[in-house]
Amino acid sequence: MSYFDFFCNNNDKSKPDNSEKIQGTCYSMCPQAEVTLRERENLVHVLEVAGGTRKLVKSYSRSAADSNMAVPHLLRPYRVLKDTVQYLLRDVIKRKGVSSLVLYDFLNDRLRAVRQDMTIQRLPPGECACLLEPMVRFYVYFGYKFSNLKPGDFDQVLNKKYLLESLKWFLYCCDSMDQSSKVEEVDVLNSFMSNLDISKRNPSYDRVLMESLYILCNLDDIHPLMRYLGLPKELKSNLTLELAYKIAIANWKRNYIFVCSVIKKLCPLSFCALSSYLPTIQRQALRVMSHGYSSKQLTVPVATVRQWLHFTSDDEALSVCRHYGLKTEERRVRFCKTDFKTDVPLHQVEKHFRHEEKLNLQDMDVIFITCQ
Amino acid sequence: MSHMASGTINQYIQFVERVFRTCQGETLARLVSLRDEHVGNRNLRSSDIATLVEGNCVAPLDEIIIAHLSCVKALYMKDYEEAYEHQTTCVACVVRLIQAQQGENWNLPLLYTVSLDLRLVALKAEAAYPSNGKILEKAADSLLAGFRVCVGDTRTNEPYSKKIGMLTIVNQLLKVYFYINKIHLCKPLIRAIDSTNLKEPFPLAQRITYKYFVGRKAMFDSDYRAADEHLSFAFQNCHRKSIKNKKQILTYLVPVKMLLGYMPTKRVVCKYDLALFWDLACAVKNGNLRGIDQVMEEHESFFIQAGIYLIVEKLKISAYRNLFRRVYLAENSHQIDIASFQAALQIMGHDDVDADETQCIVANLIYDGKIKGYISYQHQKVVVSKQSAFPPLTTLC
Repeated sequence: MSYFDFFCNNNDKSKPDNSEKIQGTCYSMCPQAEVTLRERENLVHVLEVAGGTRKLVKSYSRSAADSNMAVPHLLRPYRVLKDTVQYLLRDVIKRKGVSSLVLYDFLNDRLRAVRQDMTIQRLPPGECACLLEPMVRFYVYFGYKFSNLKPGDFDQVLNKKYLLESLKWFLYCCDSMDQSSKVEEVDVLNSFMSNLDISKRNPSYDRVLMESLYILCNLDDIHPLMRYLGLPKELKSNLTLELAYKIAIANWKRNYIFVCSVIKKLCPLSFCALSSYLPTIQRQALRVMSHGYSSKQLTVPVATVRQWLHFTSDDEALSVCRHYGLKTEERRVRFCKTDFKTDVPLHQVEKHFRHEEKLNLQDMDVIFITCQ
Repeated sequence: MSHMASGTINQYIQFVERVFRTCQGETLARLVSLRDEHVGNRNLRSSDIATLVEGNCVAPLDEIIIAHLSCVKALYMKDYEEAYEHQTTCVACVVRLIQAQQGENWNLPLLYTVSLDLRLVALKAEAAYPSNGKILEKAADSLLAGFRVCVGDTRTNEPYSKKIGMLTIVNQLLKVYFYINKIHLCKPLIRAIDSTNLKEPFPLAQRITYKYFVGRKAMFDSDYRAADEHLSFAFQNCHRKSIKNKKQILTYLVPVKMLLGYMPTKRVVCKYDLALFWDLACAVKNGNLRGIDQVMEEHESFFIQAGIYLIVEKLKISAYRNLFRRVYLAENSHQIDIASFQAALQIMGHDDVDADETQCIVANLIYDGKIKGYISYQHQKVVVSKQSAFPPLTTLC
């Protein structure tokens, strides 16, 4: 059972009485027991040592049948969890001298531990949303950054699993907050008061970005679109979110020209999310074009193909066309529906360095942390 | 049974026992239904149901009666969450009772009734305490227990086998899964029904309901041929006086048919108060993209609620085809400038479309077999086949 299901179940059960809730009492990022254990067993991570000082962060451990994890002094309350997430994604992420894969593994492990603490303590949806939002950003970013690595070095599937776990959990939190505010609105005065409450209207997380990422990370799935259609009007009409929806619809209709032309307009993280689908979009487009422009004599200039399908260079476009069995001559591509090979594996793309200056780890604050 | 609308709790218990002993399934079902007259009987809403019934009634029936009457009481108090809990118990007891009675199936109506009531009570509870569908999901789990008893009854020979009850329970489950938008959970149920081979067919009414949902599922999976087949069966066999049900089926059948190239007649859509589909059909026929957008905007909530918004969006592709065919007929040539298509798109509401996107739309239509021909990038022209350049949509799959 994923954390998400666990959370949903508990959320239901906990409604009638909150008295059985466990409140963490560990006020440091790592419980003392774990510090002692790990120092004794030499299990301190290189990223937990800075200069001469050690700064340990609670690591993830599977729940086993014989261990009781619901112990208050091992659990960190919301405040501490929030500081932990900020520390990890604001300070540790900038550390130099370790490979980025080591960095990813470390951060992923510690963030999982944060989610575990959230689950056990059954934190309210508002707090969960604040903690989950930066995690979603983290997984989207690294999914893109490591998109060219071999499966042995970096597991895209696992990364996507964590991403969806965090993202769906976040959206679930938003839904339950929407629902409770709807119930409140029955009381007119109450709703009037909540309108006055500015903090409630401006939560410290970017809901629009998260909703957009949900669509863009699942371009091959129809469910995010259904979700979008059911959202409240004021969210739906937000331009960023509407663009994500339009991209997904265009992709659904195989309108590759539209999809590839708006890539430039996306914010760095949305761009990262869409990038993972770029090879699929390009293959589909080449297939459609090999029917649409099918001819024994006629050709299309490769510069056009590059521009239409957002290839980084003419050479890349040419080699991808050849990969799918299409004939190329000089700087032109000859499309022919019988040449297109459907049985070859998906091509790899060279990474686009569009947002590379923005996606530089040194000023990641903009990308990772919005909650204050 | 009208005498149960008054009368004491003891009379009620005795009557239930007698009906049970004489194996009168339908009557027994009515006696534990939440939609029967006896529910209005004040004598059955005593303050302490459990003590009155216990020891006063034979074994498996007492639990059922307690759960049923407690549910009725909770409903009168408008405590839907509690009513839901009692009805869940009631279903569990009935499932146990039915499972214990091997080799007979006269008791199936009892299971049908409590299952249907559970769904209705769950809907009430969900409306009173929104839970994002969690209550209904749990209700589905209770229903599944009944389904398993029916499926598992393989030893009994046919007229007495509980297998005949599968479809009724499956339909309840399908209703729940569609309501809470967990359509992927329908798959194993559909497989179970399709692989069942009974000599006697399932009751027609249940088959219609089933086909309606299977059709909607096929539509969701973009298998429009299958959707057409299932929904057409449902529509043709649905009782002609069930206007509401027929309208419901048409809400899905019409868009599916339109995607396959069959446009509805004005008479039919107006008869079922679905005139918006007529506006939509006209817009699609004329390639009027702006018209489609207008219909979509005006009836947005209807389309979204019915879950056909994206299907309507897909009709735009048929509209492109129809629009380009008109351009082709007007130009009366086998070589048409991309610019002509682009201009047509702009006139019809695609204001910001450029030559590249126009080519992309044409390429997709060629890929789908909706246009026969090819694009010449060099000449910026579309060259279409001399014979049936635009084959009728109904001939494509």
